[in-house]
Amino acid sequence: MHRALGWLAAVGLAGGLVMAFGVAPREITQGNVQRIMYLHVPTVLVAYLAFAVVLVASIAYLWHRSPAADRLAHASAEVGVLFTGLTIVAGAIWGKPTWGTWWTWDARLTSVAILFVMYLGYLLLRGMIEDRERAARYSAVLGIVAALDIPLVHFSVYWWRTLHQPPSLLKPGPATMSPEILAALLVNIVAFALLYVYFVVKRATILRREEDLPA
Amino acid sequence: MTADHWGFVLSAYGIAAIVLGAYWRHLCRRDRELTERRSHAAPKAAHPRTNPVSPVQP
Repeated sequence: MHRALGWLAAVGLAGGLVMAFGVAPREITQGNVQRIMYLHVPTVLVAYLAFAVVLVASIAYLWHRSPAADRLAHASAEVGVLFTGLTIVAGAIWGKPTWGTWWTWDARLTSVAILFVMYLGYLLLRGMIEDRERAARYSAVLGIVAALDIPLVHFSVYWWRTLHQPPSLLKPGPATMSPEILAALLVNIVAFALLYVYFVVKRATILRREEDLPA
Repeated sequence: MTADHWGFVLSAYGIAAIVLGAYWRHLCRRDRELTERRSHAAPKAAHPRTNPVSPVQP
């Protein structure tokens, strides 16, 4: 099951690369540097998904005290931090040639940085508390509170005047990009989502096996 | 005609490939370690050492 998911994710990523570099046309205003979008947008959407899973699993843990829900929240937070870090790095690399700067304290960038730091804190909190039940309870509360930043990140481009462009996909109305660009973006989103599922399943299984080890 | 900045594009994809590949390897290595630990622990569990009888009687 794990192996099949891993292969599916690998094939999806290879397909995503073909779509991003072979099928999608060169963007007229930005040139080829716009191809970073096929990495930047899927990673941030998967990070949203990962933290939404943390929110749901944290509520489930507080409700039922299920260790499986706690493991899911832990695994999803770790993978979410990984994808948020990649979003920030890819965005900075894209920002330098298009905006002339690697970083600016713009509302979107700042709210994503806060999201990254909050979930990094979530992982640190888990690692700092030795008592498993207490670590699970405290991190579940933090996992719920931190999720409040997700809508802030998404709507920051509407609520404040920012350098960052508005969303390309998660917005009302039809997509404003060409069908080839949209197809390349969707293939990459699916590929990164498969990779997320593979990572989370594998990480959660490892966490369960670690818990089963004799002390 | 705008500049293409291929160096930036390759850097972004290269860093992503390295980071994701490293995490993937980390998970596979941890999985292998746990399997080895379990296989080492299994024979011990199958033949538990009997406790010696205490010479001191209560």
